[in-house]
Amino acid sequence: MMETERVFSLRNVWFTASVGAVIGIAAVAALIGFIWIPLEQSNKTVAGLWDAICTAAGVPESFRQVQQSAAPIAGPSNVIVSAQMMKPADGLSIGRGAALAPQCTMCHGVRGMSHADAPNLAGQHDAAIYKQLRDFKSGHRTSAIMGALVAGLGDQDMRDLAAYFAGLPRGPEATAADARHEAPVIVRNGSPMRNIAGCTSCHGGIDIKTGSPRLDGESESYLRAQLLAFATGARHNDIYGQMRNVARQMTPEEIDTTARFFAGR
Amino acid sequence: MLSNGSRRLILAHFWLAFAAFLLALVLGEWQMYIRSPLHDWISNPELYYRAVTAHGSAMAYVFPLLVAMGFGYAIAELALKQPLIGLRWAWASFGLVVLGTVTAMAPVSMGLASVLYTFYPPMIGNAFFYIGIVLVVVGSWIWVALMGINLNAWKKAHSGEPVPLPMFANVAGAYLWAWTSVGAAMEILFQILPVALGFKSTIDAGLARVFFSWTLHAIVYFWLMPTYIAFYVLVPRAIGGRLYSDAMARISFVLFLVFSMPIGMHHLFQDPQVGSGMKFMHAVFTAMVSVPTLLTIFTICASVEIAGRLRGGKGALGWIAALPWKNPMMLAVAFSFVMLGFGGAGGLINMSYQLDFVIHNTQWVTGHFHLIFGGAIVIMYFAIAYDLWPHLTGRALESVRLMRAQLWLWFIGMLVVTFPWHFVGILGMPRRMAYFDYSHPALAPQAIYVTVTFVGGLLLVASAVLFILVLVRGHLANRITLPEFRFSTPVHATTRVPVALNSFALWIALMIGLTVVNYGFPIAQLMALPQTSVPAVPSVVK
Amino acid sequence: MGIVALLVGMMAYMSLHWASMPPSRIETIDPATLHIAGEFVEANLGSGVEPNGSVTVRVVGNRYSFTPQCLLVPTDTPVTFRATSADVVHGFNIAKTNVNVMLVPGYIATFKTKFKEPADLEMPCHEFCGVGHATMWAHVKVVDKAEFEKQAGGKRRVSCVK
Repeated sequence: MMETERVFSLRNVWFTASVGAVIGIAAVAALIGFIWIPLEQSNKTVAGLWDAICTAAGVPESFRQVQQSAAPIAGPSNVIVSAQMMKPADGLSIGRGAALAPQCTMCHGVRGMSHADAPNLAGQHDAAIYKQLRDFKSGHRTSAIMGALVAGLGDQDMRDLAAYFAGLPRGPEATAADARHEAPVIVRNGSPMRNIAGCTSCHGGIDIKTGSPRLDGESESYLRAQLLAFATGARHNDIYGQMRNVARQMTPEEIDTTARFFAGR
Repeated sequence: MLSNGSRRLILAHFWLAFAAFLLALVLGEWQMYIRSPLHDWISNPELYYRAVTAHGSAMAYVFPLLVAMGFGYAIAELALKQPLIGLRWAWASFGLVVLGTVTAMAPVSMGLASVLYTFYPPMIGNAFFYIGIVLVVVGSWIWVALMGINLNAWKKAHSGEPVPLPMFANVAGAYLWAWTSVGAAMEILFQILPVALGFKSTIDAGLARVFFSWTLHAIVYFWLMPTYIAFYVLVPRAIGGRLYSDAMARISFVLFLVFSMPIGMHHLFQDPQVGSGMKFMHAVFTAMVSVPTLLTIFTICASVEIAGRLRGGKGALGWIAALPWKNPMMLAVAFSFVMLGFGGAGGLINMSYQLDFVIHNTQWVTGHFHLIFGGAIVIMYFAIAYDLWPHLTGRALESVRLMRAQLWLWFIGMLVVTFPWHFVGILGMPRRMAYFDYSHPALAPQAIYVTVTFVGGLLLVASAVLFILVLVRGHLANRITLPEFRFSTPVHATTRVPVALNSFALWIALMIGLTVVNYGFPIAQLMALPQTSVPAVPSVVK
Repeated sequence: MGIVALLVGMMAYMSLHWASMPPSRIETIDPATLHIAGEFVEANLGSGVEPNGSVTVRVVGNRYSFTPQCLLVPTDTPVTFRATSADVVHGFNIAKTNVNVMLVPGYIATFKTKFKEPADLEMPCHEFCGVGHATMWAHVKVVDKAEFEKQAGGKRRVSCVK
């Protein structure tokens, strides 16, 4: 009777055949994949049998330090940018920022809204302000005025200033709906084959990439100057050229259109 | 006969499934329009990815799951000829699936989780998207348990008798799903949710991809289950033939249990976090999983030939002409086989480690899984609904011509959509882009093919509307007295089945064992690497 | 069954003879500090000639461009891509070639190939990486070996970014 037939028994042919076949296939596949192929085609990069097996299995090499090249390399920035780089603003930090802010008001306006062609800081993302301050201080972004002003600021000072200005009022941020109706194609879609991302995919409107500033209401001449500086590489504190790659590809007309659009918002 | 309680339960599953299907289909067609040369670049690309997320989540999780669950309940009662045990639990499970779907789709429709149904950490969307998917999966696990419980109750009462083939296959599908869903469940519960809820700020993206691959390929075989069950237990009866071999069917289903899981890394051939030996192992087992499909094609062709000869077909090919081509089931199975043939050929290319480099993540892949799932699999979902509908409504389903038109439209539409996709994929066109610059000389030649796919999509939408229409008319038709529901009978009556093919323990042991062999090391080793957790990137910070 | 066996055999054969994913140890790297020090600092990206005459191309993907955004490679020379991501998952394929790589943050991807003839090719990001994904197209310029040597002469790294 069927009920007396045990499945997990060496006398059950279904058991022996299926388990045997599966183990057999796995063993042959493992032999080929872990030993034969890595040893055969490794051009001596594999040290031996055990190394071949480890390699094929995906054992990592030790977390090695890559040799620094001879020439000292000036990167774009020393700031580690991530969604978690700024702590939520607290009153103490904002208060300290307010105490430091007067030295900024000459150019950036009393309440962070500039009447000169300097950027507005009110309501700017704290990560964006902090990153630029750090870059001015380290020299990755050059400016005679800013360089002198940030020289005396410590890391916490810069975080405090960022928290203070981020909290100042500014008109409501552009929404996706606004962007849809008004924005020129170069602003909302960019140009794919020239690798120009739409401004709205990082600078707000659709998505915000950490560290990217909001641009609405900034001065037209400031925006144009920055895009041109990115295009020539004169400004290069954007990590992995994320702005240089864009600006380099833009035509002068597109730069004008973009600067005018954001200035007019 | 189905009891009234079960009828309501099954109809609820099917209607929700088909509603989700229709909605997701329209979204899919909208996407094809948006990215085609017929439309300007979409002004807010995020809307496109929102739609892709909704389309994928509905089509990959909600729709096939509900069809499998509804069909599973029907099989449990019709094949075991005993009232469904756990009707209340079944409704609870349905409720969880509904709740989960709503919970997941709310943030998606608000644009808070445009991370696609494949999640892609370190991008992190709104936590409710993931919680919703967990609820859907937990709901489906209740169904799995109910299928097992119903089978075991029957076995107790029918000691020593062979389990009816439909139920055997159905429970194989349920167990397959239970183990399949574990990969994504671990990814969500242990990796993504802690970040989405703010307890952690880093995530190992490579490990997450390994977990997801565990689910992502085997889920295809879960989608396939209702289709294959229909091949074996509905088609031969519906066209007046016999099932060629009951044992062959059982072997196919247990082989799916064993070989579906330990192959998912063929989605990761180009990934840097898995060793080449592991990739080779998965490629080999991917080749093995084509065995049950080849067995199925052979068995079903033989069964169909029996039908042709019983209907008086003579000669080497004369039996084909003698087949009941006006029968929607016949049409559906023929279309399904044609699409499975093309899709399978494409699949063999995907699985071949090196050939895959030409087409990985291009539109070829989109074409491939739409042809297999949307084509070969879903067309049998239609056939299943048509076959069961009179038994669910107690009314005649009379629109046979509409059914045929619907199946033809779906078949042609699917070919018109997927063939150009395969082609532009070979030309290197990437997936999941909201818009393309067709004015660029490199892309200009592809424009016409993208336009063609849009037209194919229109055929698919028309077909789906017809499908719904046929089912609605089924609710309004005259009441009839139905003959007892029958499944196919094999050529030789199944009186004795080896215990191994009448139970699942051996195959589940092999399934888990093989998964441990093929996934255990990569997972353990990536978990042990502290430096691979990378900062999470919240998607769409408004 | 025969077809299956044939395909597996073919796979093993091809793995031996023109494998593109070299069996090397998995390499990990911290994506947050990529730009500050190590192999993937900006000045080290692009194509460099190795002592053995082969060419290594280092690429970083980051929302929403590859750097360099135009890669210069020679014909008839073994080319190794070494690439990684600074933020989310990206990937690229080079149209009409077998080059196809996933960039997963935290890991270094390696890919070996050879280009046959000079061409201007497209290199899109092929994995969804965010709302700007559709604009993430880089380009590859395959030039004659001699022309490449002329352009690369004396420089540590070259690209075709203008």
